[in-house]
Amino acid sequence: MNYNILNLCLLCLFNLKLSWTERLQEQIYSSIEGGAPCFRRLNGTHQMGCSSEEESSQGVVHFIKERSEAEWIVHNATAGPYMAVVSVLLFNSIIDMFLKKPDNIAGVVVFDNTTFDISTFSPDSKCPNEYSSAPESTCSHAGGSKWNKGGTDLMRTDIPFPIIFLAKTHYEQVEKIEQCYEKFNVDKTNQKGYPLCSVQISSFMYAAVDTATCLKRSAASVLLPPARVCDPLGGRTVTYSLFPRAKETKSTKKPVILVTARMDAASLFDGLSPGASSAVVGLVTLITAAVTLSQMIPMSNSKSFNYNVLWTLLTGESFDYIASQRIAYDMLSERWPSPPLSPADIPLHIEIGQIGGALLKHKDEEIWPLNIFAPISQNNIDKISDVVNEFKSNANKKNLTVSLTSTNNLPPSSLHSFRRILKNFTDTGAIAELLIVDHNEEFTNMYYNSVIDGSDKIGYLYHNVNIGDNGTFVSTDELIAEGIMKSTEPQVKISKLATATAQTLYKKVTGEQYSGNQSASAHMVDELLYCFLNTSKCPLLKAANFGSGYINTLPDMVAPLYVGVAGVPNFVPIFAGHILVLLTGTHLSVNRTVCNNLENDDFLYYWLKGWNNDGVCIESTVNSTETYSPAFEINGYNFKSGEYSTWTESVWREMWARVYVSASGKGATAAAICGLAATVLAAFVTYWLRSRADSIFMNAPTSPEIDAATTGILRTVNC
Amino acid sequence: MTLGEFFSCSLLAFGAPLVMFAMTVANDPVRIIIMTVSAFSWLVSFLLSAIVWYLVSPLWPYVAFGMAVAVMFQELFRALMYIFLRKTEAGLKEISENHSIGSNKVEMAYVCGLGYGLMSGAFALVNVLADSVGPGTLGLQGGTEYFFITSAAMTLCMILLNTFWSVIFFNGCDEYSYLKVSWVVLSHYFVSALSLLNRKELYYATILPSYIVMLITAVIAFRCAGGTSKSLLQSFRLSS
Repeated sequence: MNYNILNLCLLCLFNLKLSWTERLQEQIYSSIEGGAPCFRRLNGTHQMGCSSEEESSQGVVHFIKERSEAEWIVHNATAGPYMAVVSVLLFNSIIDMFLKKPDNIAGVVVFDNTTFDISTFSPDSKCPNEYSSAPESTCSHAGGSKWNKGGTDLMRTDIPFPIIFLAKTHYEQVEKIEQCYEKFNVDKTNQKGYPLCSVQISSFMYAAVDTATCLKRSAASVLLPPARVCDPLGGRTVTYSLFPRAKETKSTKKPVILVTARMDAASLFDGLSPGASSAVVGLVTLITAAVTLSQMIPMSNSKSFNYNVLWTLLTGESFDYIASQRIAYDMLSERWPSPPLSPADIPLHIEIGQIGGALLKHKDEEIWPLNIFAPISQNNIDKISDVVNEFKSNANKKNLTVSLTSTNNLPPSSLHSFRRILKNFTDTGAIAELLIVDHNEEFTNMYYNSVIDGSDKIGYLYHNVNIGDNGTFVSTDELIAEGIMKSTEPQVKISKLATATAQTLYKKVTGEQYSGNQSASAHMVDELLYCFLNTSKCPLLKAANFGSGYINTLPDMVAPLYVGVAGVPNFVPIFAGHILVLLTGTHLSVNRTVCNNLENDDFLYYWLKGWNNDGVCIESTVNSTETYSPAFEINGYNFKSGEYSTWTESVWREMWARVYVSASGKGATAAAICGLAATVLAAFVTYWLRSRADSIFMNAPTSPEIDAATTGILRTVNC
Repeated sequence: MTLGEFFSCSLLAFGAPLVMFAMTVANDPVRIIIMTVSAFSWLVSFLLSAIVWYLVSPLWPYVAFGMAVAVMFQELFRALMYIFLRKTEAGLKEISENHSIGSNKVEMAYVCGLGYGLMSGAFALVNVLADSVGPGTLGLQGGTEYFFITSAAMTLCMILLNTFWSVIFFNGCDEYSYLKVSWVVLSHYFVSALSLLNRKELYYATILPSYIVMLITAVIAFRCAGGTSKSLLQSFRLSS
């Protein structure tokens, strides 16, 4: 009982103390919420990205509203180091200056304005993935035309200070910093010796130097326990074959048309890689085309056709083509997918490349100029012109213009990996290759792999049309006829492209012109774009979610398209795979237990929420494989060889940023002077009163003399 | 800069009391024991005030209530400390090598008060000092960087006040002078009430009156100890 009371007392004492401390802390610091920090990645030869000092980096806030102020910080400011706060609009023009002379820079806070738009913003290099390109590429040659002209190469730069990004949705954080800045720092000439508004960023990265070094450090040694400091980049590759392939024998084996698109984008900052025109439009086009083709060719007819189609979504393509290198490498030894393919089984590879960049430019017109890049040689000219002509005629019927560029200098795409690793098959023309993009010598996407490559950059607006009970979508023609959508909108254009692609593949697979009335629905494209560009909490993903477990509540945010690290599940491949299952698979009317026990070599069975949200069993050929670079699998691989992607991401502990006012030091000086004075005075007074106590305290009250007799016994004891 | 703030504020708050401790208490083990007991009794008093505060949950938002309870318990324990000292005086005298200890009653009162004050000062300032390490200081949402120095100055004032209060209180008890005892209790309430103004950031309004009260209390304590202005002046003349 007593013990309990004591406990209670201690508790309340502790509470008193705690609440007071919290209050003081809250008054001194204000946390900057929602900032996305720049982090460190490593490849075989370099470290890239940012890191703060080990504890944190702190600096005096300075709002940069024009270039001259950045110059002032770098050359003249004296109260540094400084934390530069700058909008994306000015970021590119000042960051070089900071990188050249970073002594006075503690860090950078970048924010996205709500009012301005910016002509070009891409942290990737001018020739993305140039070191993994096929040898015929001329982008990196002097004078060669650069694919990504606006690229600043920042993602491939070692930045000696931390950077955080504040998206439009967190603009109030910028206002908070600005208020503090206006109050304390505005007078530039009188900063030293005054209280100043400051920002502190903590984002220390454990990995350093390069991938080989950090892997060595991560490995266990005899003396030290293993401390993982970096993880290889990787994710999952999603495949969907039009017909099941598992029961094929050598003689009944059908050649496979490989259709690929990337589903990853990147950016300098953690958790923000929207990649609208870098990847999402291509990803959505592929899914839509796959769904449309599956509706054109019923599964039951599979035996009668000579070709199969393997739709493949690749991840990690932004980082030296991780997935395409991996599948090309695995195909050499026939280990991918299941059942394995040999390169000889693939007569045709169509890549839906980087499309969407031109949508914004043509947002008021019906046209969408597309371009096909193809390395054409004597051996494959017939095969390619066949497909291209078919595609052209299908596209032209839909008002899409397609031009063909015959070249070996291909834009950044997974074809580069095939042309390097499966050289014997591509050079002979055994694999004919096509790349569909919407640009010519330069990207039309001005925001390649950047944080602001969002839905507004393709001019997309969600229409929120109701999906029918059984997942029926309104057809494009109906939408336009009813005036719900205009034919100039990206949804309509993408559905047209998907239809053209599906019809082309139909011709290739069946040998006949498609005469049915199935076509891709702009309504479905609308829903798909909504899921990947606006929020994961969308009708399609609600229906495509697992019937139970795993992802119970879908996050109400845009899933970042960043590839992530190998072995850690990433949202985008799961989402894309599930949507493919839902839209292309056969819905069976069995209950969950039966569904879980179904077995068939040809198919996988998925128990998803379904359109009615009460669970549905789906039979599908959709599958996914763990994907990371072969470099991490080959024993004794030389990380400096540049043969395969070697990207790793640093491990970090926690990231936070806060704003506060730093002291001028006047308070400390005053306290020191007063403290010294008080101490000396106390020493003197004590000394004086003590040494002269007899004369000063003459009338001191004394206790009555204790009778010696009463304490006599004690006196004899010496203790 | 802020690390400097930590050290200079520590010096301001605890420099003078530590010098007093070193020169008057540290050389006598019995005084150290008494000081420790006194410091402990302050802790117990604070614990009891915390319990009472905790039990009366409806009044939690009112800082004044907690303050009133805390002052009450502190003065109660000062009285208990007096009784305790008077009861053990004879015994202390016996075990002490310095047999004259206790012959000057003021001496014990002073030692008690210093212990009481140091503990209350430590409690008041430690959390604030921990936050003064930086890198930030007050100012973001009002307040100035002078918050820390005023806290330290206020702590010093309270430590010295407690020392003097004990001298006056014990003397008052000896002489059955209710005037002296009530001065201690009332001025304690007054100074604590002044500190409520800190929430409104009226630091000067707290510090100046507090130091005036402290000086008055110091003079009263000086007189209680048997000193007079005449004897003080004389001490200067004698030394010259």
